[in-house]
Amino acid sequence: MMSDPVVHRVAAATPPRLAHRIRGLSDRTIAWLFVAPTIFLLLAVNIFPLIWTIRLSLTNFRTNRPNNEVEFVGIENYRRILTDEDTWTSLQATAHFLIWTILLQVLIGFALAYLINKKFRGNDLWTTLIVLPMMLSPAVVGNFWTFLYQPQIGLFNYFVQFLTGADPASFSMIGEVRLAPWSIVIVDTWMWTPFVMLICLAGLRSIPASLYEAAECDRASKWRQFWTITIPMALPFLMLAVLFRGIENFKMFDLVVQLTGGGPGSTTLLTSIDLKREAFEKWRTGYASAYAVILFVTVFGLASIYVKALNKVKDR
Amino acid sequence: MSSYSITEPSVRQKWIAGILVVGYAILTLIPLIWIIATGFKTPSDAIAYPPKVLFSPSLEGYVNLFTSRTRLAPEDLAALGEPTTWYDRIVRGYDMVITGPSRYGERFMNSVVIGFGSTFLSVFLGTIAAYAFSRFKVPLKDDLLFFILSTRMMPPIAVAIPIFLMYRELGLNDTQLGMILLYTAVNLSLSVWLLKGFIDEIPVEYEEAALIDGYTRFQAFYKVVLPQAATGIASTAIFCLIFAWNEYAFAALLTSGTAQTAPPFIPTIIGAGGKDWPAVAAGATLFLVPIMVFTILLRKHLLRGITFGAVRK
Amino acid sequence: MSNFINGLLRLRRGPWEMVATILIACGVVMLMQPFAMVLFTYSFLVTLVGTVMFIIVSHFPE
Repeated sequence: MMSDPVVHRVAAATPPRLAHRIRGLSDRTIAWLFVAPTIFLLLAVNIFPLIWTIRLSLTNFRTNRPNNEVEFVGIENYRRILTDEDTWTSLQATAHFLIWTILLQVLIGFALAYLINKKFRGNDLWTTLIVLPMMLSPAVVGNFWTFLYQPQIGLFNYFVQFLTGADPASFSMIGEVRLAPWSIVIVDTWMWTPFVMLICLAGLRSIPASLYEAAECDRASKWRQFWTITIPMALPFLMLAVLFRGIENFKMFDLVVQLTGGGPGSTTLLTSIDLKREAFEKWRTGYASAYAVILFVTVFGLASIYVKALNKVKDR
Repeated sequence: MSSYSITEPSVRQKWIAGILVVGYAILTLIPLIWIIATGFKTPSDAIAYPPKVLFSPSLEGYVNLFTSRTRLAPEDLAALGEPTTWYDRIVRGYDMVITGPSRYGERFMNSVVIGFGSTFLSVFLGTIAAYAFSRFKVPLKDDLLFFILSTRMMPPIAVAIPIFLMYRELGLNDTQLGMILLYTAVNLSLSVWLLKGFIDEIPVEYEEAALIDGYTRFQAFYKVVLPQAATGIASTAIFCLIFAWNEYAFAALLTSGTAQTAPPFIPTIIGAGGKDWPAVAAGATLFLVPIMVFTILLRKHLLRGITFGAVRK
Repeated sequence: MSNFINGLLRLRRGPWEMVATILIACGVVMLMQPFAMVLFTYSFLVTLVGTVMFIIVSHFPE
């Protein structure tokens, strides 16, 4: 720690103008020196590839046929993707996944945060234990969930039998068209509810106690306090959580590819998995690049809204 | 909470809240406990129904995880003589012999090297960039910061197409260096963003005082700012490490042989007759438990990183 | 409401960012709705316009 009282006193006594001059000329150099490597690396690994993707998206290039003549096809790839029934279906599967995971995670996450905020003894340890699933590798955990989902022997099916009496061999969460979209919703909710919970907890803790005290003096009921103080004050944080989970699940890949691989049929073929098939299995690089650009722009748009929401919360 | 206030929840409310939260926590931990438990089961115990909660522990899963084995005819086995080690004995029980180590050790070491390498680089570059953003007038600062953050939001599969082509040209495909650079770039955004928050909170007067005392800018940064930001730097490092440790999409697409990390490898572990779940669970346990321990030990410092800097102290 | 229109006319950041945000949100909904192919086809254009607009208007004065 820096606790030298002399330094402190000198600092306090220094007029800001002088301090400004001492910082002086070479600061500019240092600033550039410090920022340049980061910008360079991000340009090389993010922006250059992005520009390359945009260029590829206007051609019919195929990685597995490098000797084919590369033709410029204009926006043909975009036109084909945006009129393709299968792509549309894949985005609808993503929508189902998005809507239900966000709904469940916000409800459960907010409820948990609300309960933890009652500050019972040992709440921070239990909070940490709840957070554990989201810290782990989604691919490794998702792979193990296929074991829990096994019909006949899986722990999940045993649980369902225990609760409802259904025959554990009679259904397969990841093998049936009817159930597979829900199997990924369940695992994602299990994994990421803690994230929403933490954001909500931060929101609840940012509400000054004086607001509730004032409401108590006005004899406002607990129910009324919840709707007029708690919810409006926590709302920006909830928005943040929804946007962040929305972006993350829009590009969801690792967990679901290990759980269902997009199947059965194409019931859980989320956009990222669909894109991976186009790019790395069918090797239609030009077409896949156009697909990637569409996802880029969507995520970039959502990210701008997210950053706006984040700054709003930080200014509080 | 020393002083009594009218907004403090009652004892009854606390009890109800506590029971509900603990109940949820136990429910949510069952899959994780099941991973650890399955790693210590024999293959037949692992697929028993109803699922076995109590079982006699076995190290078979771990032996199968670390070795590759081959089946021998009974007469060849008899010719080999008595097994000499405990793991030989386990394998002989299935009429098999150990032929050598499996790939798991290499994959795990790849994860370690790539994880720590990229963490070091991204925290180092992130700290100096964050310092510059925090203290100096950088032209287009807000745009640059937004650009840096948005790079992290990009879908990995979409970025992977050109990176795959680029790495192939540069010979970085399936190399540790390539993966380190890639993870560094992805982590940089988080590390700049988080560290800027930490450095913003260090009063600028400290450095100004040091400058008056004749320190150069570099010395002030090195001797005044760095020690103050140490906690922030450490918790940022943990986040970068966890990301690199867990990453799957890039690893699955850009590595296949030499530089493959553990996440794409663990799901591919198979045994003699189909999926060897105890071995998969053993591999997963060794891979996940370090992160669990980290999380529990360092819980106080992790909150801010998880919430992307949305939470101040 | 008149404040909002005023802000648009005087090129203020707040209301224009609101317009861009609504465009992006519309684009995302159009991209994933299951009702009409036409909406899906033009979703990308709407999102693109919204995103570019967002980048430009975030430089307008407060």
